[in-house]
Amino acid sequence: MMKQLFYLFLGAMLMVSCVEETNPEFDQKSFTKIYDNNLFTINYFPIDMVQTEDGGYLILGGRRLETPSFIGIYLMKADKDGNFVSDVEVDESFTNPVARLALINNTYRFFCMDPLTYQVHLAQTDANLEAVNIEPVNGAFNYPCAAQADGNSFILLSYDDLDKQSVLTVLNANGNVTQSRAFTIGAGEDVDGPILRHFMRIGRQYPFEVGRIPGGLYYFNGFYNYTFSLVFTNLNQDGPNGVVNGNQEEGGLSAVQPLSATKFAVARFSFDDNYLVPNTTLNPTGISSSVNLGGNTLPELEPNARIKILRTSINNKNVLVYGSNTRSKQIGLYFYDEATGTFITSKYLGFSNPFEIAQVISTEDGGLAVCGTTYVAGRFPRICLIKLHPDDLSKVK
Amino acid sequence: MKKFYLLPCLLLLAGLTFGQATKKRKGTFSNPAQNQKETFLDKQWWLGFKAGMNLSQVLVEKRYSALSPGNYDASLTDKGYDDFSSPGTQATLEVTFYYKGFSFSLQPGFRHSVFTYSNNYEWTDPENANNRLELNYQNEQKVDYAEVPLIFKYDVIGNKLRPYVQVGIYYGFLINANKAVEISGTDYASGGVNEFRNDPVIIGAKDLFAKNHWGLLGGLGANYNLGNVRLNLDIQYRKGMSLINSTENRFGSDRLSGIGEAMDDIKLNNLVFSFGCLFPMRYLASGFKTLDQR
Repeated sequence: MMKQLFYLFLGAMLMVSCVEETNPEFDQKSFTKIYDNNLFTINYFPIDMVQTEDGGYLILGGRRLETPSFIGIYLMKADKDGNFVSDVEVDESFTNPVARLALINNTYRFFCMDPLTYQVHLAQTDANLEAVNIEPVNGAFNYPCAAQADGNSFILLSYDDLDKQSVLTVLNANGNVTQSRAFTIGAGEDVDGPILRHFMRIGRQYPFEVGRIPGGLYYFNGFYNYTFSLVFTNLNQDGPNGVVNGNQEEGGLSAVQPLSATKFAVARFSFDDNYLVPNTTLNPTGISSSVNLGGNTLPELEPNARIKILRTSINNKNVLVYGSNTRSKQIGLYFYDEATGTFITSKYLGFSNPFEIAQVISTEDGGLAVCGTTYVAGRFPRICLIKLHPDDLSKVK
Repeated sequence: MKKFYLLPCLLLLAGLTFGQATKKRKGTFSNPAQNQKETFLDKQWWLGFKAGMNLSQVLVEKRYSALSPGNYDASLTDKGYDDFSSPGTQATLEVTFYYKGFSFSLQPGFRHSVFTYSNNYEWTDPENANNRLELNYQNEQKVDYAEVPLIFKYDVIGNKLRPYVQVGIYYGFLINANKAVEISGTDYASGGVNEFRNDPVIIGAKDLFAKNHWGLLGGLGANYNLGNVRLNLDIQYRKGMSLINSTENRFGSDRLSGIGEAMDDIKLNNLVFSFGCLFPMRYLASGFKTLDQR
């Protein structure tokens, strides 16, 4: 009988060991968080996000100011479980933050603007948002459009409203200019109207971008010669080395990700339609047109959708992640094989209330974090953060 | 499925072992044939069926929400659980071995439990009282379990009416789960006082619940001998000892997390009322008399 009792006890213990227990590891593995504020008129929206060294998340955002002109600066920190930790509403004397948030000398840096002089400033903060320091960059640069870190330097696209020029500049970590070159957007009174409306966030938001082909030419995606174009330059010669022309304001590239010297993953827009082009060859020293790039048309995406491209590795596979907004008000993630451009799978985030993407990043556990805006109760814009573990992306293989 | 059969098999095996054990009496003179007959008559197997209703109570181990507030205390929007308010149902097959007032009972069954909670949200504007929205989220969870309780009973007193007390352990296997969320509220910002109630969002929520859970039980009841049949009234309090929610899939439903909903880490207690009848498996005397009528 002792033997049977032993088996009975053993069986019971085995079954009890299969039950659910609180597991803090699961809390940071996958989650959806919506950062609410109970003030009726508050309007926060994210612009960029990084994962900090403590596993938490630092979000750079914008906020609607009481006197509508430009957009204010909002910073928020969440812990590794996605829970709100702290936030900062930066003084209204600085507006229009642009980034990729860059970690240089233990501070996260981004660019912003003085709303009175339009002068570009370099802002820096720590991972816990204990202080935000903002200093003007050296040189007369106005209207920051896009920025990207390149090692310990920055590549900045700004707009010169006096001479109506797109200005591409390389600055060091302290905001000192090392190289700069200006490119005309064209002559005429109303030619910069779309740019100014973009800055006041009362019109279409253009997908300004800057970057550098690894070890090669710099590029910007912005206005050049009356057209929203992708412009390549070595910053030494007048005029661009190469241009991928758009179609005035109605066609162009909505996202750019260089893969090699001539191979690119891009997305393009054309008269409200969107096309994902995960594997294409662009000539950085010639003139071409984005219209000829073809691509996968996705009717499910909203007109002129915001598109983000992330080059990453998931489940030991090099992939391109395209993140965008669908007509059904979800965030769509589309995964392509980086080597071939072949479609792998898709994943849709958000439901019930509208969701819009702002940024998608890789996380230290090999997963993804997607930052965006959701509309709580269908009406209050709030920042949201969706964390996906590689297990959630098991179809990516 | 292997797990599903493991415990009942073991329990039956143990029951049979106890049931067939013999005990030698020492130091007294007795008629061996008479003793054997009395020992035989002290034992009985009962087989029966019970059904009834149950009420649920939730114990929160750790609170979670998809909403992470920045300017107000998260506790203001905590879920408020309604204890023992929504009736569920259960049906049980009972196999009981009786020996000298003690019973060893295996009661595999199906349990459908319902529990509800609500939370409230409010958005206001200190500068304009008309800018105000109040929302109430009413959540109803319906969970179905296959359960295997193992129970020891002691008949306190009586012959025809036999009250008993009981303690035991149970193990539950999730069969299905559904969740319904109904949002209602008052909108003061639309030019008047607009009270509204949306159609509930109803989703299958099996992935949001733990596949297995276990607990302890205690209770009391009574058997009433009616001819060869026993009528049974049974009341149990079941205390959940493990979480009934899935900790890994907490945010697994976009429909729910999209509206800020995420399940807490919870244990489920139940008050279970059952009524049924039991049939003897052995007839111990001529005329098909059972143990209590010999």
